[in-house]
Amino acid sequence: MERRTRAAQLYATYGPAVYRRCLKLLKDREAARDATQDVFMKLVRDMERLEGPDDPLPWIYSVATNHCLNVLRGDRRRGRAVPLDDDLPLASPQADYPVLALARSVLAQFDVDTQAVAVGVLVDGMEHTELAEALGVSRKTVQRRLERFLVRARELLGGRAS
Amino acid sequence: MITPCATDLALERLLAGRAPPEVIAHVDACGGCAERLAAMRREGEDFRRTVYPATVERIEDAAARSPGRRFLLALLPAPVLLAAAAAVFLVVRPVGPPDDYLGVKGSGGIGLTVFTPGKDGPRLLADGAEVSSASTLRFRVRVSELCRLVLVSVDGAGTVSRLDGGGALGVPLTAGLHDLPGGVELDGKPGPERLYAVCLADAAAVPAVEAAAREAGGRGGEGVRRTVRLAGLPPTATQTTHLLEKRP
Repeated sequence: MERRTRAAQLYATYGPAVYRRCLKLLKDREAARDATQDVFMKLVRDMERLEGPDDPLPWIYSVATNHCLNVLRGDRRRGRAVPLDDDLPLASPQADYPVLALARSVLAQFDVDTQAVAVGVLVDGMEHTELAEALGVSRKTVQRRLERFLVRARELLGGRAS
Repeated sequence: MITPCATDLALERLLAGRAPPEVIAHVDACGGCAERLAAMRREGEDFRRTVYPATVERIEDAAARSPGRRFLLALLPAPVLLAAAAAVFLVVRPVGPPDDYLGVKGSGGIGLTVFTPGKDGPRLLADGAEVSSASTLRFRVRVSELCRLVLVSVDGAGTVSRLDGGGALGVPLTAGLHDLPGGVELDGKPGPERLYAVCLADAAAVPAVEAAAREAGGRGGEGVRRTVRLAGLPPTATQTTHLLEKRP
């Protein structure tokens, strides 16, 4: 089957997951549509990985998360209104709004690579090994970034963290 | 024990039919997770209705421009390359029907054509055709809408084989005709071999197809010949079947 057809089929299969991820992070249908297209154009560069025997969802999630966090950062730099408390993923549907706002404001203090690790482990519940593979870094790097994140987050939160 | 609410990634796995039982059990019992899952389904529909049609062409273009993993060949030693070339020749040597051949058995949502290499080119195998028990088979499928294909075979001994290579998700197909990549070689054992091609709206139903095929295989050779429909599939599933009689 030619690459164009295979790509269209993969897009039909995994596009919804990318779109949902982008919609959740960007909270704007138009922006999510554009981001979904951009993310999938990156993913189809390694079409064999999408078609491989391993579950590609963790990788897809990480690529989409990184891309959308970069979009948000770019928007912020360009001065586009991105409410600080509304630009990062919800931790849990059950969490209280002040807790979510706090989590988002803390996350916003970190670079995109660290955000991707924090979101992957703490929000998406990914295993360190799984996330490392998805991000293309070592497991130690994931652990190191997460430790740095937690230490700095505790500092930022002052007495509020347990 | 209280299990934590499912993350979005876990819910994505559930939608893809890959969630572990504890996640499925939690979502069944948790209003919040069920609500999120329903919202994710709606967002998926939104993608299929509006995003996919508007953007798929650029994705196809990007894929066509991408070299894939061919660059890896440059890193392989010559003997490996020669072996790989021979393997590729064996796998992709065209055994399909002529390009202008459009006949596909089956009506409605799905059709299946089975063919085998012959001296004068590919030979179509009619339903109930006799074939050598060591034949190589290739498949052409027609589907009328976007769906996940499961192609499964069952023989008189009750052996069930997945022929589509799509694993837990099945093979996603857009509406139209598709030659399935690769091919299969029959097992050399004489007797009936029935193929079922099933088009599913949701990957979650893939195990049901395999279970139904196992049930059909439990009825012996005559049962395999008589069972022209798999039972217990979702009402939206479409299916067709093709019987082969393997001869020594």
